[in-house]
Amino acid sequence: MNRNRIRRFTPLQRLSHIFLIITFLVQSATGLGRMYMETAWGQRLCWFFGGYEASREVHIWVGIIMLCGFVLHVLYLLAKVEWKGFPQSLFGPDSMLPRPADLKEFFQHVAWFFGARKPPEFDRWGYWEKFDYWAVFWGMVIIGVTGLLLAWPIAASRIMPGWGLNVALWVHRIEALLAMGHVFLIHFFIAHLRRHNFPMDRAMFEGSADLDAARHERPAWIRRLRDSGRLEGMLVTDSMIGQRVLFYLFGYAAVAAGLFLLIGALINVPHISW
Amino acid sequence: MGKIISLQKWLTGALIFGLMLSGNLASAQDEVASAIRRYKAYEASTGYYEEYEVLPQRQRPLITIPNIRQGLIPYSPTAASVRSRTHLADSHQGIRFYAGRQCADCHTAAAMDIHTTRANLTCRQCHGGEPIASIHYYWSPLNPIRRHAYVCSKCHEGASASYAAYVVHAPNPSMAGTMKSFPVLFYAFWIMIAIAVGTFVLFIPHTVLWGIRELFVKKKKTGGEQDEQE
Repeated sequence: MNRNRIRRFTPLQRLSHIFLIITFLVQSATGLGRMYMETAWGQRLCWFFGGYEASREVHIWVGIIMLCGFVLHVLYLLAKVEWKGFPQSLFGPDSMLPRPADLKEFFQHVAWFFGARKPPEFDRWGYWEKFDYWAVFWGMVIIGVTGLLLAWPIAASRIMPGWGLNVALWVHRIEALLAMGHVFLIHFFIAHLRRHNFPMDRAMFEGSADLDAARHERPAWIRRLRDSGRLEGMLVTDSMIGQRVLFYLFGYAAVAAGLFLLIGALINVPHISW
Repeated sequence: MGKIISLQKWLTGALIFGLMLSGNLASAQDEVASAIRRYKAYEASTGYYEEYEVLPQRQRPLITIPNIRQGLIPYSPTAASVRSRTHLADSHQGIRFYAGRQCADCHTAAAMDIHTTRANLTCRQCHGGEPIASIHYYWSPLNPIRRHAYVCSKCHEGASASYAAYVVHAPNPSMAGTMKSFPVLFYAFWIMIAIAVGTFVLFIPHTVLWGIRELFVKKKKTGGEQDEQE
């Protein structure tokens, strides 16, 4: 078989992504359901999880599970860091940490949108991917901390005045709306609709990306791998058709759920009190 | 001499005791919907406390125009001198046609909080029956010195005074007035909005332009394992 794909994500990373998809969608649905409780749409969402009170229970438990996942992810990061060349090793091209080149690539990319320059030669991670990653990281901390305060308000009001809960609620809410808006609009568009990935970028499910596409979009990465002689070892064959169907079904189910929540929330905005 | 001191003690005690009795106890301290109805009597049927105290409260039978306050508070001549209503045993003292009104007719914004709109609580479940005492009336159950124990802990078991500092009727965080009344909420709100709007202002046009630009790219097919031609 033709080895026309290049390994991009490990099974653990793919599992983390699936974990994030499921928990994020459940949190979105239960959170929006409670927020839109005044509308028929919100009531139906809550009904799916067992009502207004039960949605809160689900929201809290899934939130705790998410935070556990986050803690595990931080431990994973600590295990993955190359402590030998620390801290310079953190700023290599394989790292998710932003570096000056990302800013340069961003401006070059935008210039390319207008036809002013050639497209930037991305390395392993594009700036938009790093932004997505750190958006989730930061969102986990902000939403997680405020969520814990709101979940146990009586304990929380021991360590801060009760009016802190008013603030926590709004921070939780706005950060969550930002996260949902970003994922359901921008992340979905980049991973599904732009021509390079249409109809779906399977890399996060399959673990590998199309070599031609990678060569086209991330030439610096491919060149680096080839020069160091690692490229050959990273080539893999395409997945079986049954697997591919599964990836598409799962991916599009997540997109459908996300768009359902996004559109429902936007339509019903005038009918709720904040 | 000893008898006089002892008499003084008795008199002081009697005076304090008398003062304690002299205030009107706000009837809200008992959980009643009216003189004859108790909330608990309705609990088994709907799960919600009685929804009809003054009149059917939020589900009004007549069509009204949203956000239009109907009429102003008519002060009676006898109560015209009442300006501050924050320390009264009956905070609605002297308001004409009070009995025929609903809370939200006048307290429009106060009926928009989460306790009311989401958890479906009624005003009376916290503010009590008639006469509704002012928040700062000494005997009011909602007086901050006892609010946590008398009101909040009816539902939130173990509520502390700090917990009761939660602002149930929170101001709209976006409004300029909130900068004065609740500055932390105001700034937290606007900082978060700035982050959110900043992200979308940057990334939505970016993503749309990207999508359009890629329509004009020719996809190159170089085949599987061969390296790129430079």
